[in-house]
Amino acid sequence: MNKVLEMSGLTRRFGTVTAVDGIDLDIVAGEWVAIMGPSGSGKTTLMNLLACLDAPSEGRYVLDGVDTSRLDDRERTVVRREKIGLVFQQFHLVPYLTAQENVMLAQYYHSMTDKEEAARALAQMGMEHRLQHRPSQLSGGEQQRVCIARALINQPAIILADEPTGNLDEQNEEIVLDIFRDLHRQGRTIIMVTHNPEMGEQAERVVRLQHGRVEAADPTPVTP
Amino acid sequence: MAAISLQQRQNLRMFLRILLQSLRIRKSRVLIAFCSILIGAAVVFALLSLYFDISIKMSRELRAYGANFFVGAAETGQPTLEADIYRRVLEQIPAQRLVGASPYLYGVARLDLGNAVLAGVDFTGLRRLSPFWQVEGKWVAVDFDEEHCMIGRALARNMALKVGDQLRVFKRETGFNQSLTVRGIVETGQAEDDQIFVNLSLAQKILGQPGRINHAMLSILSRDFDTDALAARLKEQWPGVTAAPLRKVSYSEGKILEKIKGLMALVAVIILAATTFCVMTTLVAMVVERTREIALLKSLGAENRSIVRQFLIETCCISLAGIAGGMLVGFLLAQLLGQAVFGAAISFRIAVVPLTLTVSLVAALLAAIMPVRMALRIAPATVLKGE
Repeated sequence: MNKVLEMSGLTRRFGTVTAVDGIDLDIVAGEWVAIMGPSGSGKTTLMNLLACLDAPSEGRYVLDGVDTSRLDDRERTVVRREKIGLVFQQFHLVPYLTAQENVMLAQYYHSMTDKEEAARALAQMGMEHRLQHRPSQLSGGEQQRVCIARALINQPAIILADEPTGNLDEQNEEIVLDIFRDLHRQGRTIIMVTHNPEMGEQAERVVRLQHGRVEAADPTPVTP
Repeated sequence: MAAISLQQRQNLRMFLRILLQSLRIRKSRVLIAFCSILIGAAVVFALLSLYFDISIKMSRELRAYGANFFVGAAETGQPTLEADIYRRVLEQIPAQRLVGASPYLYGVARLDLGNAVLAGVDFTGLRRLSPFWQVEGKWVAVDFDEEHCMIGRALARNMALKVGDQLRVFKRETGFNQSLTVRGIVETGQAEDDQIFVNLSLAQKILGQPGRINHAMLSILSRDFDTDALAARLKEQWPGVTAAPLRKVSYSEGKILEKIKGLMALVAVIILAATTFCVMTTLVAMVVERTREIALLKSLGAENRSIVRQFLIETCCISLAGIAGGMLVGFLLAQLLGQAVFGAAISFRIAVVPLTLTVSLVAALLAAIMPVRMALRIAPATVLKGE
């Protein structure tokens, strides 16, 4: 089993509050994992640790062979751009750039911009007719598809999605879910934080958090 | 190599796109920063132009208050010195620094109604040396004029003389006896009011001192010119000569110039501080407005140096445009101030351009420090979290 992600005793404290408390969890390549739990259970903190947006207070976090626990801020930034694709609930597109340029932005900070490649990535999301549109000219679902194209453009080791359908209507939710199913079929490793039980059901495995700890990590059936 | 250059080209294109779009979308804030820098640069340019010109212009104005350098016979030697030495002294002073100079030869001569102090001078030089003299009638205009004289106001009153009157000058020792026409009556409020002035060559004849003078007074533009060194050099060259700057005049002149320059520097610093503050608040507002964007860029892998580079280049672009406009406005402002204060145009000096550029750019970059630090402190994890 090719482990993409290994966590052992991963802990994050904020003063006297322990938001993530000694999590041990491994995720293998191509797995689709949903992290679920009530508000305050530590989902967002764990997500930030997995995204290398934050550093653990204790424990070890190895991503694609790199132990990120001892890295400084700059080194974590490098790991983030090389190995992680982020999908946000609120899309977070740069408002003054077109859909294509927003995808190219990830290329720009990674290595080299490539218009054609960005256009292809958007076409895979069914957005080939919206390349030159700015975010304000796109629907929520379309913006999320741009966000997913941006997350995928640098071929990351994992895709981290934070409530990816949280701001979408039912129809767009289904479109985005289909995209994730496709990505899973292509062998992408997906870690998704969600409140939504239906989204959770799509994942191969659900990790339930409670008070910063893994309450349960059971395999769930994969919905094709 | 080609791959690297392609990468650089592609990324440069993207960077420029981000830069231009980012500036375009924040027109009003960019305009505020641009105007602040323009005003700051304009004031700095105008004041620097004045600063360079003022020394020359003020020195010339202050030179109107009289001589600031004395050349005479050494105390230990004869009371007079050769007039030729005076001419050679003048040769040692750059022509553009010499505002005016006159030799003086004094003696007592008998006039129609009594004795008077007679001074032999170079009228052309004296006129430049003492522009504050009040003259009724005219100055003696020609150096070889031996038929006209100028007399002091008190002497004219005592002897009931007017411009155009004849007066007889005697000197028993030399046998001189000649009538002179009063060309002008001088009023200085000082000893000159009791004296009679003739051309030096005539005075030398009257007093029987051919080729001699008592001393000379000079008016020298002393800015960036070491008059002490000149005095030392002259004394070394002619041991029988004493030469010295007139401290009171030179010192006052220096003080006035220093104070004016200090005042201008203070105004420039205040304006620059205000500019810096205004630019800083605008940039801070821009950072606050872009918090999400900066957090996103960081989450996409932008390192701190990329964020710093983007901010500094944006600041530099706005600043350079503002400084260019400011220089143009500053030059016009300098002309207005020059006309208002000195009644003269202020010259364009190329040195002002790099100075204004440097000072304004430094002010703008100082203004960017705090906003950039704010941008670097933005934590994407906090800013980008859902809900």
